[in-house]
Amino acid sequence: MEALRLGVILAAGVCLVGLWLRLRHFLSLPLARDLSRARGSARRGARYALTLGMMPWAKESTRKHALSYIRGVVFHLGIFAALVALVAALSGARPVGGSLLLAEVLVGAGLVAGIIGLLERLARPDLRALSTADDYVAVLVMDLVLLAALAWLRDPAAVGWFYALAIAMLVYIPLGKIRHCIFFFPARIFFGRHFGHRGVLPPAVGGGEAR
Amino acid sequence: MMDKALEVLERRLSRQLAASLETCVRCGICADSCHYYLADPRPEHVPAYRAELLRRIYRRHHDPVGRLFPGLVRARELDDELAEELIKSAYGTCTMCRRCVLNCPMGVDNGLIVRTARGMLAALGRVPKGLQDTVDVHLESGNNMAVSEEDFVETLEWLEEQLQDEVDDPEARIPVNQAGARVLYTLNPREAKYYPLTILAAAKVFYAAGESWTLSTRAWDVTNYALFNGDDEAAREIAGWLAQEAAELGVEEVVMAECGHGFRAFRWEGENWLGRSYAAPVRGFVELVAEYIRTGRIKLDPAQNPEPVTYHDPCNQARNGGILEEPRYILKHAVADFREMHPHGRENFCCGGGGGMMAMGEFAEGRLAAGRVKAEQIRATGAKVVATSCHNCLDQITELSKHYDLGIKVLNLCEVVAEAIILPGDRQ
Repeated sequence: MEALRLGVILAAGVCLVGLWLRLRHFLSLPLARDLSRARGSARRGARYALTLGMMPWAKESTRKHALSYIRGVVFHLGIFAALVALVAALSGARPVGGSLLLAEVLVGAGLVAGIIGLLERLARPDLRALSTADDYVAVLVMDLVLLAALAWLRDPAAVGWFYALAIAMLVYIPLGKIRHCIFFFPARIFFGRHFGHRGVLPPAVGGGEAR
Repeated sequence: MMDKALEVLERRLSRQLAASLETCVRCGICADSCHYYLADPRPEHVPAYRAELLRRIYRRHHDPVGRLFPGLVRARELDDELAEELIKSAYGTCTMCRRCVLNCPMGVDNGLIVRTARGMLAALGRVPKGLQDTVDVHLESGNNMAVSEEDFVETLEWLEEQLQDEVDDPEARIPVNQAGARVLYTLNPREAKYYPLTILAAAKVFYAAGESWTLSTRAWDVTNYALFNGDDEAAREIAGWLAQEAAELGVEEVVMAECGHGFRAFRWEGENWLGRSYAAPVRGFVELVAEYIRTGRIKLDPAQNPEPVTYHDPCNQARNGGILEEPRYILKHAVADFREMHPHGRENFCCGGGGGMMAMGEFAEGRLAAGRVKAEQIRATGAKVVATSCHNCLDQITELSKHYDLGIKVLNLCEVVAEAIILPGDRQ
């Protein structure tokens, strides 16, 4: 078991180095500066993009597909909870009482959301056409980690599976699309700054809105 | 053979573009933000799918996994087959309206990706002919319809006479090449060639406001179709002419005629193409007219426009330019019965005429099919008049009216304002 535990720590190192290399490539690229005169505020736009702009009511797409969006949020909450559980397992701690129940609910709900996501991708022709093998592998790996985390939360004897799958996940993160975990933030900030600079976001109260 | 295209990708690969290429998780939630997908829900019409075509090339060259295991992430080299698919996708089924960008939970800029793909195709000389011809004519003649200076001046002289008749003032002028004027006004060549009455309408507004303005015979074309063909070199050259003319005339501001893409190209992109700031600020005509009303420089009588009017937000002015409130403010003063489309403003649907579509006859069938979304929006308002602020939108909506039997009249905003204007002598 100790070998698997060390394997997780080693895989976490591989993950961080992989993400760092990705980030280094990204930071080596030029930052396109906008020389046009501002109509609004890039800073306010970025703040909006990372806060209220993420709310399900902020965009037509998430208003129309609220269930899908919420499914995605639940999936990600489950992943964060599983990562916290992994840190707990590595440090020899174990949630009890209310914390255990909360972790089980979050991880369990995340697992259900992840499985639905995978099935949806397999079932919908437009999503299948869009998808690469990585799209299936990434969600499958995360679903398996969620399953193993849930198993460990319910029975400490499952820790070996939890560690083994965590190693697979950590090694895969910088290779596949899960690396959006680092690119999401600059993408949202660029989006917010761009539309904020042009005075398009954040929406003015009562101004030009769709609803 | 494809090296030129790949060079464009390398040259334009900024952090902004890379973030958009890296972040998409292919959730597909962007699908029904696109009018092409709504009109014909095929996988190829999902905005993320279009972006994915360029992403495949990016992965082949910038992702170690794409180099070692291309099958895992569908990385591939740019070849003839992929270039053909890119042409159909980036030029044929995307108007670069960026509605999907606003609707992406991740902040992926599909518009930036599509324009980069267009730039790569431009480097290969594979821009659809009609669109490329428009850019070439602009570069060769100074405007995109090859209107000669002689014809242009003659048209303006005739319009000046019309203006004097209309406002009953022999001193009314359409000034040309006046150094030191406050405003340099620009025109769409379609106005000079086919719709001179829109120039007259704008001139009437300037007259009523007592504005110090001028046109230029040297650089007057508001359009810049290089925004759409993706060729930054051409875009830079065209934007540079107008910037230089404004500096030489010493105007306080440049006011763009009602042309959606022209506004976006010069107001928002031009300084970035040129790599320097303009001497004078740039505004849209709509912004200026709203200011005239707000400050009392012009008075309007809404009773002159009694029919129900709705407004179509040009994507390049609204979602991509921030002009959201001004048209509504103007119409509330200029028409008796204003009706909003739903959705509108930044979430408005593209009419289908953007992205250079009107210049690419080979994609006309798809353009009209995708316009169904807009046609249904218009019909639902019950309006008899659609006001807009863009010539491409005006043309497309006029075609949609025939195609979908909408029975509407389509006008540029300046025409609606000119109809309602109370001339200074009549204000008593």
